[in-house]
Amino acid sequence: MTYSIIARCPRSGRLGLATATFSIASGGRCEGILAGVGICKTQAFINRGNDTLAIELLGQGFSPAHVMQTLAQNDPDHDYRQIAILDRDGNAAAHTGSGPRPWAGHRIGGGYVAFGNVLAGPHVVDAIAEGFLAEPDAALEFRLLAALEGGRDAGGQTGANGPLTERSAIIRIVAQPDYPDIDVRVDLHDDAVVELRRVLEEFKRYEVFYRERGRNPRDAVSQDEFVASLEQRT
Amino acid sequence: MTYTVLGRCPRTGRLGIGIATFSITVGLYCNGVKAMTGVTMSQAFVNQSNNKLALRLLDQGFTAASVLSQLVSNDPNFEYRQIGVIDRDGNAVAHTGPRTRGWSGHVTGQGCVAFGNGLVGSGVVDAIAAGFMAEPEADLEHRLLLGIEAGRDAGGQGTAQRHKPERSAALVVYSRHAYADIDLRVDLHATAVEELRRIYTEYKLYEDYYRDRGRNPRGAMPQEKFMAQLHAAEG
Repeated sequence: MTYSIIARCPRSGRLGLATATFSIASGGRCEGILAGVGICKTQAFINRGNDTLAIELLGQGFSPAHVMQTLAQNDPDHDYRQIAILDRDGNAAAHTGSGPRPWAGHRIGGGYVAFGNVLAGPHVVDAIAEGFLAEPDAALEFRLLAALEGGRDAGGQTGANGPLTERSAIIRIVAQPDYPDIDVRVDLHDDAVVELRRVLEEFKRYEVFYRERGRNPRDAVSQDEFVASLEQRT
Repeated sequence: MTYTVLGRCPRTGRLGIGIATFSITVGLYCNGVKAMTGVTMSQAFVNQSNNKLALRLLDQGFTAASVLSQLVSNDPNFEYRQIGVIDRDGNAVAHTGPRTRGWSGHVTGQGCVAFGNGLVGSGVVDAIAAGFMAEPEADLEHRLLLGIEAGRDAGGQGTAQRHKPERSAALVVYSRHAYADIDLRVDLHATAVEELRRIYTEYKLYEDYYRDRGRNPRGAMPQEKFMAQLHAAEG
C-alpha cells in the first residue's frame, strides 16, 4: 500500500524520490538516494538492507539491471519486494514480485520509474507518470509532487476493505553527496499529500534564506526579519 | 534558535539526535548519525558540509575533540557555528561560536551533548541534559524525546518576554545498520514537540510490525488486520 516515483531531472542531473502511503513515517525508510550515484527504493514488504546495498553497488559502477539481479540473489524473499532502481544517467530497472498485494506494478519511462502496490489499478501508476511528465521544464520537486497528486487523484491505494488514505509522504531531492537539496516529510496526517504540498511550498519560500545564512552568516538577516518580509509580501 | 540533544546509549552503543526549532523542516539537516561511528549536528548558521565531514573523520578514528577542532579550523565562519560531536566511545564535545544569536550555549556529559541558541537562558540546556539523564535505563529514543520536552518546558526559544514556537522537530536513532532504527519528523507545525510525541507514540505501536513484515513477509498479516487488532486491544 504505497505509491512512489523515482526520477532524474534531465536538465540538472538532480535525483529525486517521492512516496505516499497509508503506512506512517515512510520518509524514515528512504535512504537509497545518493547524488552522482543513483536511487533505489524498496517497498511492499521492505528488505531494509536493500536500498543501501544497491547504492553501494551503483557506486561501484554496476548497471541497474545488474544491481537488481544481485538483490534478487541476496534475498530469499525477493518475490515479496517491489523495487525500483535508477542510475546517475537515468537508466532504470524495476521489479514487482508476486508477493505484494494487488494491484501492484510499475511503469518505466525515460529517467523515471512509477510504481506501487495495493493500488486501485494500473491506471494509478499511469497517472503518476502523467503527472510527472505534465510539466517537463518545472523543478524536479514540483514534478514529483505532481506525480503523487496524479496518483492520488486516480484513486491511490485500495485494500481489501476499500480505499486507504495517505498518512505519510516524502519528497527528497539530492544535488550533491553531503546533504539533500530538498527533504520534506509528512509522517502522520489524514491527508498527507495535501499536507506535503503545504510543507513544500512553505519550504520553497525559505530555501534560499536558509542556504545563504549558512554560507554567508556575516550578512545574514535574522529569521524574524526574514519572516516579517515574507508576511509583507503576502 | 534551536535546541538539540545528542546521545549515545551506554548499554547498546546506539546513537541519536533529538531536535526542535523555529525553523521549518529541520530534519533535512539531521544527517550526522552513523551506526558504530558517531553522531554530530551543526546548527545556528549551518555549515551544511560539516556533518558528513565529521562522520568521515570519526570513521577514520579521530576522537570527538579532534574532529571538532578540525571542523573549526576548516571553517572561516566558525564564530557563527554551533556544533556538537559524540564519538563511538561516548566522548562528547561542543562548540558554541560567539556570534550565534540570542542566549547560546551547551553542556556536555559522558554520551550527551545538550546545546542550543536563541534560547530563553541557560536553564534550557540544563533542563535538556537533566531530561536526557532522567531515565538512564530507557531506550535512547525515549531519553532523547524526554530531553527535548524538558527543553521546551524550561522555556525553549525566544526571550522571557516573547516565546518562539517550535515549528519543526526530529528524532533519529541508529543502531547497527546503514539505515536508521528510528527516523521521525515534524516539518511544519504550530507545536512541533507535541506533534513529535504524538507521532512517536503512534509509531511505537507499529515499529515491530513494520520490521517483521519485511523480514518475514510469508507470514505477515495485512496492515488493516494489524490495525484492527491494535484497536481491539485498545478496547
